[in-house]
Amino acid sequence: MLAAALAGALVYPLIARAAPANGTVAPDFVLKAVDGHNLRLAEYRGDTVVLSFWASWCGPCRETLSQLNTIATVSGTDGPVLLGVNLDGDAARARSVADSLHLSFPTLVDSKQSVGRLYNVEKLPLTLLIDRDGRVRGAWAGDAAPLPELTRQIKELNSR
Amino acid sequence: MISMKQLTGRPWLAGLVAIAGFAATFAAGAADAQAAPSATAAPPASAAADATRGVDQDVQVLKKQLVDLNRDLFKLEEELLYPASTQVAVFLSVDVGTFFALDSVTLKIDDKEVAHYLYTDREVQALHRGGVQKLYLGNLKAGRHEIVAFFSGKGPHDRDYRRGATLLLDKEVGAKYVELRISDRVTSLEPEFVVRQWE
Repeated sequence: MLAAALAGALVYPLIARAAPANGTVAPDFVLKAVDGHNLRLAEYRGDTVVLSFWASWCGPCRETLSQLNTIATVSGTDGPVLLGVNLDGDAARARSVADSLHLSFPTLVDSKQSVGRLYNVEKLPLTLLIDRDGRVRGAWAGDAAPLPELTRQIKELNSR
Repeated sequence: MISMKQLTGRPWLAGLVAIAGFAATFAAGAADAQAAPSATAAPPASAAADATRGVDQDVQVLKKQLVDLNRDLFKLEEELLYPASTQVAVFLSVDVGTFFALDSVTLKIDDKEVAHYLYTDREVQALHRGGVQKLYLGNLKAGRHEIVAFFSGKGPHDRDYRRGATLLLDKEVGAKYVELRISDRVTSLEPEFVVRQWE
């Protein structure tokens, strides 16, 4: 618990500005996933992407991850690309949480919080909806993303 | 067509393209507006179509000129930021790569990290197909410099593998091009990492 609190205290000051605004291009990044593969956001151009920043010490983050897992299960291969970005800086801890929640989408580890800074993460969880052109179309910060609203917006983007 | 990559960092150029697009739309609208009253006078419909086609061709010419201008500006920018007298470029290539699955490369010049790159599966496939990546472009003053590259990935038997390769580069006046090359050493069934200078 103490380690988790300390990790939270270390991460939070690094992430203290506003996230990318709606309509702006989501900054590109490449991170290593817990399964060892490297993933680059730009390689998902042409797909709707849901990007969620989270940390193991953040309760609402787990709720968001569970909701995203529901989206992945319901929508199957026709659904959006789901990417979780862990800001703990500890791949083992991120893998442990991802396993405990049975996440079916990639968990990326931002070990240096560089992507967290790039996205100016102000509050966790931060969930971003990114359209096929790589532009941010929705953002939910500090609370679990509302599943109905997120699902509606994903359907809207996919129907364009 | 002008790609977003070409327009990145040139908002004014993006504006020009938008203006060109607007001009096309406006001109097409004007052509339609001109065609509308003449419709009552029953002029040939082909006249309006010809006018629209002409405007479209003008816009295409304008867009091509913008692309050419953008290319020239990129070249100028590169020449200004990285003059030939100090320019150093480092490229990475993979030859076969059976014994090594590339994960990342860290590049140090004179003990200072100048580039760190994580490779996705697609990027590795592109390198295996013969692609050459420009890993770093920068400036170095004349003199002797040490270039060290660290390659990380999976080696033989799927084991974690990390190797370094060094090149002492005597920089003179003139651009220098360095290649990091990953190849297979068939005799020892191991990967080989070479840093060499292009003549």
